[in-house]
Amino acid sequence: MSFSQISFLQTLFGPEVFAAALRVMIPLLLAALGGLLTKQAGIENIGLEGLMLIGCFSGFVVNYYTSNWIAGLIGGAVFTTLAALLFGVFVISLRAHEIVAGVAVNMLGLGVTTYLLRAIFGVKGSFTDPRIRGIPTLELGFLENVPVVGVIFSRQSIMVWIGLALVIAIHFLLYHARFGYYIRAAGENPQALSTSGISLPRTRYITVLIHGVLCGLGGAYLSTGYLTQYVENMSAGRGFIAMAAIAFGGAKPMRVFFSAILFAFVESLSNRLQLVEVPSYFALMIPYVVTVIVLAVTSWREKQKSKTSTL
Amino acid sequence: MKISRKLLLPLISLCALIASLIIGAIIILINGDNPLVAYGALIEGSFNGMPNLAGTLSSATPLLFTGLGVAVAFKSGMANIGAEGQLYMGAIAAALVGVYLPWPGISLIPAALLAAFAAGGLYGLIPAALKIKTDTNEVVTTLMLNYVATLLTSYLVNYPFKAPGAPLGMTEDIQKAARLPLLYSGSRFNIGFILAIAACVLVALMFRYTTMGYEMRMLGQNSVYSKYIGIDVSARMLQGMFLGGGLAGVGGATLVLGIQYRFVQNISPGYGFDGLTIALMAGFSAIGVIPMAILFGALRSGGLSMELATSVPSELSKVVQAIIILFMAAQVSLALYFTEFMTRLRHRREKKQATGGA
Repeated sequence: MSFSQISFLQTLFGPEVFAAALRVMIPLLLAALGGLLTKQAGIENIGLEGLMLIGCFSGFVVNYYTSNWIAGLIGGAVFTTLAALLFGVFVISLRAHEIVAGVAVNMLGLGVTTYLLRAIFGVKGSFTDPRIRGIPTLELGFLENVPVVGVIFSRQSIMVWIGLALVIAIHFLLYHARFGYYIRAAGENPQALSTSGISLPRTRYITVLIHGVLCGLGGAYLSTGYLTQYVENMSAGRGFIAMAAIAFGGAKPMRVFFSAILFAFVESLSNRLQLVEVPSYFALMIPYVVTVIVLAVTSWREKQKSKTSTL
Repeated sequence: MKISRKLLLPLISLCALIASLIIGAIIILINGDNPLVAYGALIEGSFNGMPNLAGTLSSATPLLFTGLGVAVAFKSGMANIGAEGQLYMGAIAAALVGVYLPWPGISLIPAALLAAFAAGGLYGLIPAALKIKTDTNEVVTTLMLNYVATLLTSYLVNYPFKAPGAPLGMTEDIQKAARLPLLYSGSRFNIGFILAIAACVLVALMFRYTTMGYEMRMLGQNSVYSKYIGIDVSARMLQGMFLGGGLAGVGGATLVLGIQYRFVQNISPGYGFDGLTIALMAGFSAIGVIPMAILFGALRSGGLSMELATSVPSELSKVVQAIIILFMAAQVSLALYFTEFMTRLRHRREKKQATGGA
C-alpha cells in the first residue's frame, strides 16, 4: 500500500472520525430515543424533525437571554415538550391521523422558528452572539494519553455523556420499570392495559411528554453545543434520520443506539469524503437505503413467521 | 337544531380555516402589524390583477399534480408520504429528455411528460411492491425514499449531467421546443395548469365510472373486505401507486419544463409535502384538490407580497397551514364532540322545559 493510500484510510477511519461521529450522533440519538418511546406506546411520530427544530431554536433563545447553558437546555426541553403536548392532544384526545399531525408538527416547527428568528433577532439565515454559552466539554485528563480511546473520549461534550446515560436509562425504563411495562402494553395491547385499570391516554400522554423532553435536549445540543450558532432549518433532516435509526433498531433502545452510531459514523465519514473529493451523495443515502432494506427484510421474516404459525 | 353529518364536516373545515386565520392575525398583531393590511396584501398579491393571478396559478400547477397523486394513492389504500421523491424522479427524467432527446420539436413535450410519469410511477412502485411482498409499512419507506431521490438527483446534476461552468448542480437548459407554452406572457403561467385540471377531472371520472376506480376506492376503505369480494388487491395497489407516483412525477416535469427550464438541485421547495396537505384537506377527492391547490398556490405567491407590504414574514403562512392541518386531521372527532355537545345542550333544555312545566 502506498503512503497516500494509508493516509487516505487514516482520514477515513482514524479515531478523530469516531470522536466526530459521537458528536454528530447525539442529536440523532436523543430524538430517536424519544421517538422509540412513542412508537413503543403505539404512536408513530414523523414530527421528530419539527420538534427538534423547536428545541434547537428555543434552547438557543433561552441561552441567549440567560447566558447559561443549563438554562438553555432546560428551555429547549420545556418549549419542545409544549409542542409535543400539542401533538399529543391532537393525536391522543382528538384522534387525529398521527402521520398527518406529524407533518403538521414539522411544518409548524419550520414556520415558527423561521418566523421568530426574524421577529426576535431581525435576521434571516443564521445568527450567533457572544452571549451564547456553549455546552462545556468534559476534560478527562487521565484518558488523554491512552491511544485511540483518549482521542475519542477525553474531550467530549457533557451532552455526549448524558446521551449515553440516557440510552441505559431508557432501556431500564422500558424493560425494568413498571411504567415501561405500561408503555409497551399501550402499544402492543391497549385493551389489556385499559382492562387492568391503567389509563391508556394517561400512559400515552406521559410518554409523549418524555419524548418531547428528549427531542428538545437533542435540538438544544445542536445549536448550543455542536455549534454555538442558530441556522434556519438547522435540524436539516436529522429527525428523519432518527426515524430511520428507530426503524433500523426495531424501536429497542440498545439497537437504536447502535444504529444511531452507525448513521452518525456514515455522516461524519461523508464529511471526510467531501474533503477528499469523492461524491458524498451516495454515502449520505446509506441511512435511508439501509433502513428501507432492513425494514423490508424484517417485515418479510415476520410475515413468514406468522404464516408458519397459522399453519 | 340538528345538523346532518354531511354538512358538519365542511362546516368544521370552515371553522378550522377561520380559527387558523384568527391565530395568524394574533401573531401578526404581536409582531406589531395590522392583520387586515397583511391579509389584504396577501389576497391582493395572489388574486388581484392578471399578473398576480398568473403567479398564483403557476405556483398551483405542481401542487395540483402532487396533491392529486397523493389523493389517488391514499384512496387506493397506500399512505404515500413520498410524493416529494416521486416529483424529483419525474423532474430529472423530464429534464434529461428535454435537454438530450434529439427528436423533432413537437414530440418533445409529450415525450418529456411521459418520461416523467413513468419515472415517478416506477419510483412509487418500490414501496408498493415492498408492502405487497413483505408487508413493509409504506409510511416509513416512502418517507425514506424522498431523501434517496433528492440525493440521487443532486448527484446526477453535480457529476454526470452537470452543465459546464454552472455555479451549482444543474443540467443544461432544455431545448426551446420542450418548454411548456405560456398562457400569459410575462409570467410562467403555462399550459401545465390546464393539463393539471384535466388530470383532476379524468381521475375523478375514473374513480366514479370505471371498475378499476371502484375497486381502488373499495381497497382504500377496507382491504380485507376487498379481498373477500374478489378484488385483486395487489394489482390495484400497484396501479394506484403507479398512477399516484406518476402524477407527482408530472408535477416535477411542470417545474422543469414550465418554470425553471432546467433541473436545478433541490428544485422543489416541498411541493410534495404540500401535496399531502392538499390531498388531506380535499378529503382525498380529485375535484376537491383543485380549490385546495389554488389556495396553497395563493399562500405561496401572495406570501411574498405580504412580506413586501408589511414586516410579516411569509413563513407565517406555514404556521397558519400547520394549524389548519391539525384541525383538519382532527375534524372527525371534533365533529363528534360538537354533536355530543349539542345533544347534551338539547337534553338540558328539554329537562329545563319539563321541570318548568311541572
